[in-house]
Amino acid sequence: MPIPASTPAATGSGDLGAPLYIAWQVTNECNLACLHCIEESGPGKAFPDELDEDEVFAVLEQAMDLEVPYLSFSGGEPMVHRRFFDMAEYVCRRNGQLKVETNGHYLGPENCARLKQIGVKAVQVSLDGATRDTFNRMRVRGNFDTAVQGVKNLRAAGVPIEINYSPTSFNAHEIGTAVDLAYELGAYSFYTGRTMYTGNAVKTWHRMAPSEEQYGPFFETLHRKTEEYRDRMRVHFHEMGLLEELRYRLHHPAALLIVLPNGLVKLINALPFVCGDLRKQTLAEIWGRFQRAWQDPRVAQFVDDLAIDPRKTATLHQWVYL
Amino acid sequence: MKLAKYVKFREEKFGAVLFETRSEKVFTLNPTATAVVREIQAGSDERDIPARLKARYNDQDGTIEREAQAFIAELRQKGLVED
Repeated sequence: MPIPASTPAATGSGDLGAPLYIAWQVTNECNLACLHCIEESGPGKAFPDELDEDEVFAVLEQAMDLEVPYLSFSGGEPMVHRRFFDMAEYVCRRNGQLKVETNGHYLGPENCARLKQIGVKAVQVSLDGATRDTFNRMRVRGNFDTAVQGVKNLRAAGVPIEINYSPTSFNAHEIGTAVDLAYELGAYSFYTGRTMYTGNAVKTWHRMAPSEEQYGPFFETLHRKTEEYRDRMRVHFHEMGLLEELRYRLHHPAALLIVLPNGLVKLINALPFVCGDLRKQTLAEIWGRFQRAWQDPRVAQFVDDLAIDPRKTATLHQWVYL
Repeated sequence: MKLAKYVKFREEKFGAVLFETRSEKVFTLNPTATAVVREIQAGSDERDIPARLKARYNDQDGTIEREAQAFIAELRQKGLVED
């Protein structure tokens, strides 16, 4: 009896009683101001209406009651959220599996020990550059050495490590070295893909967008590295362009909800459509709305428009309520 | 035998899903496979599970028993269970 296998992103949501994955941007506040940040996060950029503590824990309780098996906390920088560790502890205590997506600047030995003790599934650190020069250029206010030391602290504490890498015109050539570095640092997974034209990237595109000529060798290197690290570290990358991915999603919505810091729930990061508000609806109700929202003609129209004008992604933060 | 550390199980109307969160792979289970995982979670000995399901579902031609045996072998081969 072969077991059909897919990924949460490829698993059709229609037959499921609840999402398989909740990607929660717990705050828009961040200590860094990265050139490419798709959320326009940065210092002082917390939304004025972010969920308060009671609301946050009420949503977490609903997610655990629905047996959502997998959550990620991102931001902004999730570790600057005042209740970050309490939230992580709650999810893990209720038997959920949690991934933390961080810029790696709050990963001192004490915090890493706490993450290990809580039992997070993994911590994903963004290392957008294999050198101090490219990393610091991309991650404004960031420090390559601090992030790398953070990853080393994770390893010392025994926390599973993932590395994320966003390509730009000035770091795409470092991809091979970056994959090697991730392995040396003890990562079990490496993620990358095409950088999106949205958020801060709209303002910085002219000085950081990789060209198609750069993407060619970038993905060739990744194919080679995938083979080189087979059975040692998973090299995972999205070669598909955004438009192809969205066209696929129209017919195969992922079993994934994107929760914004203010409790709004998006269909997918790369679309402006909101299908619920956790202040007004339960998670279960929003899951039902999510299925229907993908069928709204405005969603398909947006994707069609994107084929004519790829720069429409600049409007992803102008939310459209379905 | 138990589900591996990073494997989550959730019952659905059609059966269930197993979600291996390290590789981020999702496995869709039919009702027989779902019954096998329930037995694993209840602590049943893996050698007893096919016969238990055969008896429980009055499996006269042995189809469920064979499916259960094959499924347990596949769980092991995919690293979804551990001792």
